[in-house]
Amino acid sequence: MMDTLQAVQEAQELSGSYARVAVFGGIYSNYLALEKALDLARERDAQAILCLGDLGGFGPFPDRTCALLRDAGVDVMRGNYDESIAQDLGDCGCGYSDPRDNHFAQLSYDYTAARTSAKNKAWLRKLPSAFRFRLGGISVLTCHGSPRQTNEFLWETGTPDGLVRRFLDASGAGLLLGTHSGIKWERRLPDQRGFVNVGVLGRPENDGLPNVWFTLLDADAEKGYRAEFIPVTYDHERLAHEVLAEELPQEFAATLLTGWWTTCLENLPAKERVRGRF
Amino acid sequence: MIRAQVGIAEPPPVPGQPAHVRLERLNALWFQVTGLLCNLECAHCLVDSSPRNTSMLFLDRATVQAYLQEADILGVKEIYFTGGEPFLHPQMPTLLADALAIAPTTVLTNGTLITPAMAQALRRVSDGSRYSLEIRVSMDHPDEAENDRLRGRGSHAKALRAVLRLQNVGLPPIVTVTDFLQHNGSSLFESFLAMLSREGVQKPRLKMLPVFHIGKLEDPQTGSSVSQAMMAGVDPLFLQCSQTRVITAEGVYACPILVGKKEGFLGSGRLRGNPGVDLVHHACRTCYQTGMSCANT
Repeated sequence: MMDTLQAVQEAQELSGSYARVAVFGGIYSNYLALEKALDLARERDAQAILCLGDLGGFGPFPDRTCALLRDAGVDVMRGNYDESIAQDLGDCGCGYSDPRDNHFAQLSYDYTAARTSAKNKAWLRKLPSAFRFRLGGISVLTCHGSPRQTNEFLWETGTPDGLVRRFLDASGAGLLLGTHSGIKWERRLPDQRGFVNVGVLGRPENDGLPNVWFTLLDADAEKGYRAEFIPVTYDHERLAHEVLAEELPQEFAATLLTGWWTTCLENLPAKERVRGRF
Repeated sequence: MIRAQVGIAEPPPVPGQPAHVRLERLNALWFQVTGLLCNLECAHCLVDSSPRNTSMLFLDRATVQAYLQEADILGVKEIYFTGGEPFLHPQMPTLLADALAIAPTTVLTNGTLITPAMAQALRRVSDGSRYSLEIRVSMDHPDEAENDRLRGRGSHAKALRAVLRLQNVGLPPIVTVTDFLQHNGSSLFESFLAMLSREGVQKPRLKMLPVFHIGKLEDPQTGSSVSQAMMAGVDPLFLQCSQTRVITAEGVYACPILVGKKEGFLGSGRLRGNPGVDLVHHACRTCYQTGMSCANT
């Protein structure tokens, strides 16, 4: 067997060596939460801000998210959604089999593809698919879904320690970061290496609360790394109103308002599924 | 997802020769835990299971544990138990607990043996792990008479009873449907969702499988081998045999579809260094055409 990790092969090296960084997961066009998260990251003295991809989907006005990220100097990599939008692939690449999930995913994709400018599609095409950087002496590798596959879902109750260990061994990293699934979680191995799913800014995480999340990472040579999940409250009622005004599905607005996922549920493992309302 | 393979140079394809697929990664490890013994005899069974099929022995716990240990080292993502009917194995909850110590685990069942006590036992096993325990309950038609024509009298009611028992202990099962009656996927999916909702299933989960002309539906005329030329430019990860192995009492098989078939048998050794499989069986063509996976997603 070969351990060929896509993220290792394609990672762009970030030149800085940091003690504290903020890492954003999927934005899903939630530009209002993104504005708030940028403010919070600066207030917490993040030396760099990274975004692990999936800029569009679910929400309105995708160009606003691209502009905000560029203007703030965020180090942005692409996710499966960005690959699909940039290359006009026709669907989001999430690989759903439930016709209902596919229906809503297609509405979201078609809206985002139609309203992402040619300039922003060109920008998305140039984004790297992974980053490598040093955090307090620790080698960090980012990916979107998993280090081996952009659209692989890594859920907390679906990801064995042995798989995390294998990814860490194959990449030489001390810390792996990902997003894609939509729910934050952290796994630390006994040797202190680990994986952090940084969560997403795009939609709440199926817990009945409307806030969204990003991750602040600190590290130093003695204590290793520490992940702090930062809740972001924002004007979710305004975003839900804009979702409806743009004639996106009311199911998307309902998720923003209630904090419960209404679509794209099929890949949730049993333990994550049972926590949600639907 | 089909993507051209990059990296190691492969020899050019030989026209007419069957493709050879290596184990690229161990994503799913399956245990054929009760061999081919089942308490039902479904008309379309892939592996020809029945109450009389004792041709393959049950797996013992030591064998399961040894392969789990190796799979952990190899970075396995998911463990599956299948048969036959897995709950005919007297140690099933113990085996599931062993697997759940390593990785998320799924058991495929017809549901007939999910008693209230077994549902509670499964809940305890699930609570003992950080990983998800998934129970896949097989049904083939939302209509009771149609379903039972394929799966045996009373099987619809018993499967549905199991689904509700599992839901009641907080383990929402995945109903697995083989599209045998060719209702074209989408409408069968919708009618199953409607039936499950009507019966009180609050979070219906469905997995659809295509029909394979193998086992009870053996028909070599429906397919042929997959050639090297056909695989040119196709990412081998499109095929589940590049990331799956099945452990049986006889040894290792390439995928759950080919259990009991000489074309899928890969010897009795360890997983590491396991040889790849030649796609010579006619069922391989169905995987090639559909990209299907026996895994949950």
